[in-house]
Amino acid sequence: MTTSMVWWGIIIYILIALFIAYLSRSGKQTNMGSYFLGDRKMGGIVSALSYSATTYSAFMLVGLAGLTYNGGVGALGFELIYLMGVSLVAFFGPRFWVVGKKYGYITPSEMLGDRYNNKNVALVVSITSCIFLIPYSAVQLSGVGYLLQGMTNNEISYSTGVIIATVVAIVFSYIAGIRSVAWTDSLQAVFMIITSTVVVLMLVHSLGGFSEFFGSIETTKPEHLSVPGNGFWSFATFLGMTIPWFFFSLSNPQVSQRLYMPASLKSLRIMLMGFMIFGLIYTLVAVIWGFSAVVMFPNLEKADLATPMVLSSEAVPPILGVIVMVGIMAAAISTIDSILLTLSSLFARDVYSQFRKNSTDEMQLRVGKIVIPIIAILAYLFAELELDLIAVLSVASSAGLLVVVPSIIGTFFWKRGTAAGVLSSVIISGVIVIVLELFKLKPLGLTSGVWGISLSTVLFVVVSLMTKAPEEKANEFLNNVKIELNKFK
Amino acid sequence: MKSNELKWALAILLIIMLAYILPYTMLTDVAKWYGSFLIWTVLACIVIGINFFLTKDWK
Repeated sequence: MTTSMVWWGIIIYILIALFIAYLSRSGKQTNMGSYFLGDRKMGGIVSALSYSATTYSAFMLVGLAGLTYNGGVGALGFELIYLMGVSLVAFFGPRFWVVGKKYGYITPSEMLGDRYNNKNVALVVSITSCIFLIPYSAVQLSGVGYLLQGMTNNEISYSTGVIIATVVAIVFSYIAGIRSVAWTDSLQAVFMIITSTVVVLMLVHSLGGFSEFFGSIETTKPEHLSVPGNGFWSFATFLGMTIPWFFFSLSNPQVSQRLYMPASLKSLRIMLMGFMIFGLIYTLVAVIWGFSAVVMFPNLEKADLATPMVLSSEAVPPILGVIVMVGIMAAAISTIDSILLTLSSLFARDVYSQFRKNSTDEMQLRVGKIVIPIIAILAYLFAELELDLIAVLSVASSAGLLVVVPSIIGTFFWKRGTAAGVLSSVIISGVIVIVLELFKLKPLGLTSGVWGISLSTVLFVVVSLMTKAPEEKANEFLNNVKIELNKFK
Repeated sequence: MKSNELKWALAILLIIMLAYILPYTMLTDVAKWYGSFLIWTVLACIVIGINFFLTKDWK
């Protein structure tokens, strides 16, 4: 694979994606609902593909394949338990969707603020999201930098890769808000699932077909086919990694906001089922990819090298290698642009509106649009600086966002929940998660995520019971949920 | 939560418990493709099937 092939791959991808983003413009994007939620009129298939592209970042073919290379089949269990956790959408999805329509919510934190009858709830929850998701985006940007640098032997520098990803993410979010993000996401998802499946089938074929493929793992690394296997996937590690991801569909606003967008419950259903099938296939592809690296290159020094080695091996034609590599870059961008858009909607809706009372929808949209490049540049600077704290916050992001989950569950299922309960559970547990990650502490052998969710649940329940619930609001909200759900089922 | 929702939720919970328990108990010594690899894949398929039926009436 030559550097000029990589450049051509990137250019062609960007041109096609720009064309699709341009076509996605429809109607006037003059209000928050239109720009950030696509007027709540998104079709099921685009929603499903976009949800997939947003969820599955560059992590899958690099990180998950690497985890498989390192520790074996436990990586499959980890990712599939996450996928099973997306069943939460079957329970929370319709509830988010009906109240979104009924009350006009743009962001999940706005919903929490209204339900608990306290604007500070919206403010704190959205700031928490920014604290963890901006570093997470920064690490995605660095991923693109390292990938291009590694695959071209430094001919495309780290900084060039990071700049390309930042600029493309800004442009994709800017052209038509969520519409351009959703359509370029869909392009990326289709592209990725097809090419990576083809690569995996070629790899398995070149290694003698499925039975021989598993046969060689059984003889060379039998411990890779069971857990805890070589010890990498101890039960404590498995639990610590799966719990934060299990709740991902609720805890991460860039995906939970998607629950407001489908045109109908039928579209929401297509989004859920489409995503689950996509996720199952893609997970199997990434894990088998990692296993192929085990068979082909059993003694790599670093697991992160597994994917670059496989892509530049003789089993994969160079042109396909370039296509998949560009696909991995696109996967990172499709995650970042969705996060960018969600965070700017959070800022405009829940932070700006606090300081500028009576701000109109139009003013919020203007602020949201200004904030998009600012957040992107912040993520870019973090990626360039490669600060330790940023890496810590990024790793902590899945655990850190988990602290909001009890309050989200309480929104729909517990009348007694209070704003004080939300604020104390989110702030105190959030700080504890950061401290645990910063000092690499694992009290009782349990990870920060397990501590975060346990502590935030206890705090939410205890503090809520000690304070007065917004009874009137809770009754009205929950009654409306019931009435609206009955209309659609 | 409606009672049929609760029924499905418990079914999903049971399968997720199995996804934690089986590979770490019965299957720890089964170093074959039909060990943990198969069981996790099958359990995920069952959960997808449950979601299919759970959301059948969404219009």
